[in-house]
Amino acid sequence: MKFQDYYETLGVARTATAEELKLAFRKLARIHHPDVAQDKVAGEVKFKQINEAYEVLGDPAKRKRYDELGQDWQHPGGAAPHSSAGPNRQNWSGGASPGPDVEFSGTGFSDFFESFFAGGQDGFGSRHSADPRGFAREEAFSHPGQDVEADLLVTLDEALNGATRKVSLRRPGMNGEAERTNTYQVKIPAGVREGKRIRLTGQGGSGYGGAAAGDLYLRVRLALHPDFTVHEADLHCDLDLAPWEAVLGTKARIPTLDGRVSLSVPPGTEADSRLRLRALGLRQDDGTRGDIYVTMKIRTPHPVSAQEQALWTQLAELSPFNPRNEP
Amino acid sequence: MNADPTVSRHALLIVSRRGSGPAVHTLEEAARIVSIHPERLRHYCRRGVFGPGLARTEGEPVFDDDRLYELRRFEHFRQHQRVNPRTLRLLCDLWREVDQLRIELRFIRNR
Repeated sequence: MKFQDYYETLGVARTATAEELKLAFRKLARIHHPDVAQDKVAGEVKFKQINEAYEVLGDPAKRKRYDELGQDWQHPGGAAPHSSAGPNRQNWSGGASPGPDVEFSGTGFSDFFESFFAGGQDGFGSRHSADPRGFAREEAFSHPGQDVEADLLVTLDEALNGATRKVSLRRPGMNGEAERTNTYQVKIPAGVREGKRIRLTGQGGSGYGGAAAGDLYLRVRLALHPDFTVHEADLHCDLDLAPWEAVLGTKARIPTLDGRVSLSVPPGTEADSRLRLRALGLRQDDGTRGDIYVTMKIRTPHPVSAQEQALWTQLAELSPFNPRNEP
Repeated sequence: MNADPTVSRHALLIVSRRGSGPAVHTLEEAARIVSIHPERLRHYCRRGVFGPGLARTEGEPVFDDDRLYELRRFEHFRQHQRVNPRTLRLLCDLWREVDQLRIELRFIRNR
């Protein structure tokens, strides 16, 4: 397992503020997003790395844990993965002994992330395989296999249209058995949402004493997008406007998952007001699509030239507009 | 019957049988998957273990992969950790609430 330097991935200093991290993420994500990258394969790899880095650094609790972990993560006395890494992490479906770890590939996250940061969202996931000896101590005769869970990074495009993903699960050998790797073609259903689980029947830990094997659960983590944030099936984005565009109205090109569309901004648009683009969001349970909400952000020009200054001054003198209703 | 002696017969192993949408299971199927009696599962549904948003088809609850996960977790704690059902119901509510709040927080944080 290789240490991931998330600060280096995002190209920021270790002292970067939350806002600086967000800006760095968005800037890099716009360059490497699979939809726009020149080299799709390399772009996808880089995009996943950026996403993973921001997943950790963009969350204050995970960032703190990551900073504490530091470069000494493998040394004695350093933080241990899994059970002690996350405050909420529990091994709910196993016996007393968690047993050796399983390793995933193809989920979109590195081994490092899987070991230290995955599962913190629900706090009860497990990447440990079943340990029949552990069950044997607890239960007299038989025990079903342990469920295994991992996060699966899914892009918004995959969530909208569905996709098939190859995921590998490497299980260490137990009781003299050889290590084995299983590869699954996982179908990501169209309309899948953040936090949803995809279950692969009987692909978890082996059962003991003739009992059934556990299941493999892949929990969807929607990849962060440079333009959109996701709320249920709706997408939210910002549109930067010049003051005169807000006053006079304008037309702007807006990115959507279906390509760019033209949006008419009406005259007299207020800051932080929202416009809705109907049925261009993610798929809902009933098959219809959510909406895109565009929030208007009015940007102030600076610096301004002497001529602009004169015109703004003229406007200030001419206009009866009084935003604070002061006498 | 296979009358052609030149055609050998093979057992087919269905590895994956997912359609394009999320998988859903009837109450009977869900009970079988989790190895509990359907009446017990009906009782859980009546007691609101799975919250108010449980989808139904023809009056009977249906279970997606998330609900199955919740059910397996519920049964694990009930059977193997000896947690009583009333406490587990409270835990289920809290787990769901925490999940929802985490999604909200992720949205707000990334705005």
